[in-house]
Amino acid sequence: MSDFSVIGKRTAMVDSSGKATGLGKYADDFSVPGMLIGKILHSPYPHARIKKIDASRALALDGVVAVVTGSDAPNKYGILPVGHDETALAVEKVRYVGDNVACVAAISESIAEKALELIDVEYEPMQAYFDPEDSMKATSDLIHPEKPGNVEKDYHHVFGDPDQGFAESDVVIEGRYIANEVTHAAMEPHCTLASFEIDSITGNQGRLTVWSSTQVPYYLQHKLSIVLDMPMSQIRVIKPLVGGGFGAKSEIIPLEIIAAVAARKAQAPVKITYTREEVFWAHRGRPRTIVDLKTGVKKDGSIRTVAARVVQDGGAYCSYGVVTILYSGALLGALYDIPNIRYDGYRVLTNKPACGAMRGHGTVNVRFAFESQLDEAAARIGMDPAAIRNRNLLKPPCLTVNNLRVRSYGLPECIEKVVTGSRWAERKGKLPRGRGLGIACSHYVSGAANSIIRSDMPHSTVNIKVDRDGGVVIYTGASDIGQGSDTVAAQIAAEVLGCSMARIQVIAADTDLTPVDIGSYSSRVTFMNGNATLRAAQAAKKLIAEAVAKRMNCSPEDLIFSDDKVWKKGAAEESVTVAAAAPTVSGHVEGQILRGSVQQKRKDEGVKERMSFEEAVVTAMDIQGTLTGVGSYAPPPDARGGKHKGGGVGPSPAYSYSAQVADVSVDEETGEVTVHKIWAAHDCGRALNPVAVEGQVIGSVWMGLGQALQEEMVWKHGLLMNPSLLEYRSASGVESPEIECYIVESIDPEGPFGAKEASEGSLAAAIPAVANAIFDAVGIRLRESPFTPERVLAALRSKKAGAKKLQLTRNADPENPGSFREHGGSLCFKGKGPVRHALDPAMVRPGTTADAAEEMGGAD
Amino acid sequence: MSLPDFQVLRPRTNAEAVELLARHAGDIRIIAGGTDLVPSMRQKLFTPKFVLDIRAIAELNGIRESAAGLSIGAMTTLAAIERHPAIRKNYSVLREATITVASPVIRNMATLGGNICLDTRCLWYNQSLAWRKSCGFCIKKDGNLCHVAPGGTKCWAAFSADTPPALLCLGAQLEILSPQGVRIVPLQDLYSGAGEAPLKLASTDLLAAIHLPAASSGLHGAYKKLRIRGSIDYPLAGVAVTFRNGAGNPTANSIMKDVRVAITAVNPAPLLVREAAKQLEGKPFGEATAELAGELAGELAAKSARPLTTSALTPEYRKEMVRVLAKRALLSLA
Repeated sequence: MSDFSVIGKRTAMVDSSGKATGLGKYADDFSVPGMLIGKILHSPYPHARIKKIDASRALALDGVVAVVTGSDAPNKYGILPVGHDETALAVEKVRYVGDNVACVAAISESIAEKALELIDVEYEPMQAYFDPEDSMKATSDLIHPEKPGNVEKDYHHVFGDPDQGFAESDVVIEGRYIANEVTHAAMEPHCTLASFEIDSITGNQGRLTVWSSTQVPYYLQHKLSIVLDMPMSQIRVIKPLVGGGFGAKSEIIPLEIIAAVAARKAQAPVKITYTREEVFWAHRGRPRTIVDLKTGVKKDGSIRTVAARVVQDGGAYCSYGVVTILYSGALLGALYDIPNIRYDGYRVLTNKPACGAMRGHGTVNVRFAFESQLDEAAARIGMDPAAIRNRNLLKPPCLTVNNLRVRSYGLPECIEKVVTGSRWAERKGKLPRGRGLGIACSHYVSGAANSIIRSDMPHSTVNIKVDRDGGVVIYTGASDIGQGSDTVAAQIAAEVLGCSMARIQVIAADTDLTPVDIGSYSSRVTFMNGNATLRAAQAAKKLIAEAVAKRMNCSPEDLIFSDDKVWKKGAAEESVTVAAAAPTVSGHVEGQILRGSVQQKRKDEGVKERMSFEEAVVTAMDIQGTLTGVGSYAPPPDARGGKHKGGGVGPSPAYSYSAQVADVSVDEETGEVTVHKIWAAHDCGRALNPVAVEGQVIGSVWMGLGQALQEEMVWKHGLLMNPSLLEYRSASGVESPEIECYIVESIDPEGPFGAKEASEGSLAAAIPAVANAIFDAVGIRLRESPFTPERVLAALRSKKAGAKKLQLTRNADPENPGSFREHGGSLCFKGKGPVRHALDPAMVRPGTTADAAEEMGGAD
Repeated sequence: MSLPDFQVLRPRTNAEAVELLARHAGDIRIIAGGTDLVPSMRQKLFTPKFVLDIRAIAELNGIRESAAGLSIGAMTTLAAIERHPAIRKNYSVLREATITVASPVIRNMATLGGNICLDTRCLWYNQSLAWRKSCGFCIKKDGNLCHVAPGGTKCWAAFSADTPPALLCLGAQLEILSPQGVRIVPLQDLYSGAGEAPLKLASTDLLAAIHLPAASSGLHGAYKKLRIRGSIDYPLAGVAVTFRNGAGNPTANSIMKDVRVAITAVNPAPLLVREAAKQLEGKPFGEATAELAGELAGELAAKSARPLTTSALTPEYRKEMVRVLAKRALLSLA
């Protein structure tokens, strides 16, 4: 590792100063002359036919320029080719409370908001479905008529012989696990500014430029072209700084299309920024999931079979749903050695905001179930939870039973690190009552081996331009959304070219300037864009090396690029006339050398053994004219998975691994769970930027803790009860425990410098680690997340003989969850739910008879 | 979400403020720190024509000590209360409650007067206009439904401020200005108990100061708060307890005097639990007896709590926690 000069060093993010000072620009910081503000009218009904929309009163309001509705852009789109079921604005019907009905473009936000009140919409309510298991029984009022039983997609996979596996098992454990719905809660709300140029010759609307907070600028360009009927080459998408995505921005969000449609109709630029409530409605988070899991193990701890039936409450549109339900099954494999797997997955439509991809896409909720059940199995056969995990390790390189190719595998070392760090052997099971330790593992892909649109096209392409000033510009389509991909690209190029980071500029994610990259999702960027950058830098280096070699009378292989210098192997140390002029960053006199003067200098100096980086570049340009390197990456064919239906999702060129130990205490009077510390080890292949890896691992664990303890979207008849960061409780600094992070470097044979995924793989283990620790502390097995104080207390009370029974969770046993309750467990409403009525406040229904408060014991 | 249109009025004196309130009665809201009012205005819960900004009135700000006790200007920020040495020393329960409010950043803006006059909260009410439209307007705003007690005619929105239970225990008095002059009212008389109109204040009234009597100085006190998140959250339940130890030393086994227990966030008003005060008065309090006193305080406090599903966590859980918090508050003083 000491062989590297930039790689493996703790490096500040190249865009951090702009973020810290406020000079950096996010989408909402942009404005253009004549820009209008767009505001969206959302549906108050979960499922209703639109009979009439009359915008005449809104249009009459001074300051309103245009009102757009579904008929202005009826073309269907969706992130997946199999899921083109969305339109910019509702056509014919609305499918969830918050669905998009119309958009007003006006000269100010407040006028646009006032105009929304003046749009008259006549709805005809339809039967709505909120519970996926009920929704599957639907025969009428289907959410999408082409999806019978409201099932978006179901898959049934059998690998090996699961029945035989169960027969061989000494212990078989079955259980139902429920993970409630969570959302990304990225700091930056979605924002899009769309602006058409006027064609200078025809005077018509010409090219479209869109600034948007997105993880996938190229998909956005593609979907805009579908909806607007424009060639992609006429659409430029620019991704400015993005304030976090976590999957929320990994597909096309309604406002991105609506802003463009509104700009077209208003004939003026339109900017839309979501309110936090609208961010919750746009959602695309992790679906509520029912996991019926069955695991068979032998007495020696070896896992023989896993069978899972998974039902996901997907919301009203497909979004990434087909991929999510496939990941849930595929990633049962590739963590442990499991010879037999049966998987039945159902992605179900319901009348709620669409779920999509969220950090740890598809694997998190099933991992919670699996790792919890593995602990139960270990207890049944009297084995230590860490030991049973060690007993079931893969032996790579290998192909799993479901055709996933595993090469690098740092899981054993991850387990060892956290077991040692937490002093597991001396402390586990020996802590006083109320305090406990729990262990769990997880893994994730380093990019999907197959892109959304299956093709042999490269997934990442990078151009590098080296100019005579000695500056290096990387043009990459990869989207830095805060995870640090720009910095990693700069580091890789600097390492290859042997130049300092200060020489490198990264121009990223602008469809006019940068070559295509499919986006920042599935933790693919370091691996795939990193490899493309590596190849582009090597190509540029090759051109420089060939020219310099000629000049130094040696072969290119004999040259060393390092420290902003190029020299011949074995060159005398003292010939440092040029090197003495260091630091030679751009702007220094060496950077100003013009070609003529270099030629003059060369004549004067004769054969050299050492050059500055600038000199080497200029020497190469004498021969090449221009100096560019290009590189691309496509996953190798043998990593692309099996041929079975749905076999394209899950395969990856490499997998990351994580192991965690949680140390928690449980307050048996209040049910509050306090996490004291998490030890988290993550195998990321090679840590290109260790401080960024630690940040990602700690962030993943922290986000997992949110889902474990307090984050939960609460519903009542399709109405989201907590669409704000006040009531949707992501952890604050106060309850964030110390997270001790161990980086494990398994050096992947195909990753750039051996690197693989770092940003998602550690999330999933946090939830079962806490669940297992709670069991260790107080002996309750929570099978429904999050583990809120009342769920914990309800489980404790039900165990305690003679304890006062309390209706804390309305008969829902958090140790044995049945079906979804309409509103989780933390917030139960006995009431009938929202009474929907005509929108006029004067039209409220008269109150019904008895004072229900009396019945609830609430009246004085 | 934009703010509705309004005109800001900035009086310099109390007299000017009272005059403006009277002139625009019914069409005006007072803004103090704004930490609660501004988000509510964005949600169109209030759309007044005028907003009276009283931040420029010097006489409303500051803490004054006298033989009668402590007088706290209504515009004194929670951060200033937190730092004040006399409050820390003699009225510690107020400081303990204050530091649990929201976050340090918000406490730099939020005022004691604002916290006392906080609007009641309900998940069905503190929502955007579009959200409220989608489920039917409720008794508290624009309608006549109640979503937490269907068919009910009363509003059960919970009073959700942290400092009032502490102030109730301390016997706080309010100085209220109106066109008719100055009047002094005990804090408990401020609250109506009706969720839809929680304060017994006329639209021409201006809360000027909060007086803490000298008699309450030096009381032992504690405040415990239920919340899911370690900061930012409003209380889901809160209990304040104060008493004077007969022996002057809380650790010795002695007699409890001037016992007060108050609860918040589980009713439409903060409440003094009078039964607890009555039953605990004169009881021994020491290592052996504190547990017993705690249990009793908890039982009685929980009896007074009537939470409904106005916030996260079930009412049953919140009620149960009132019991636990009251006990723990008392035990923390043993």
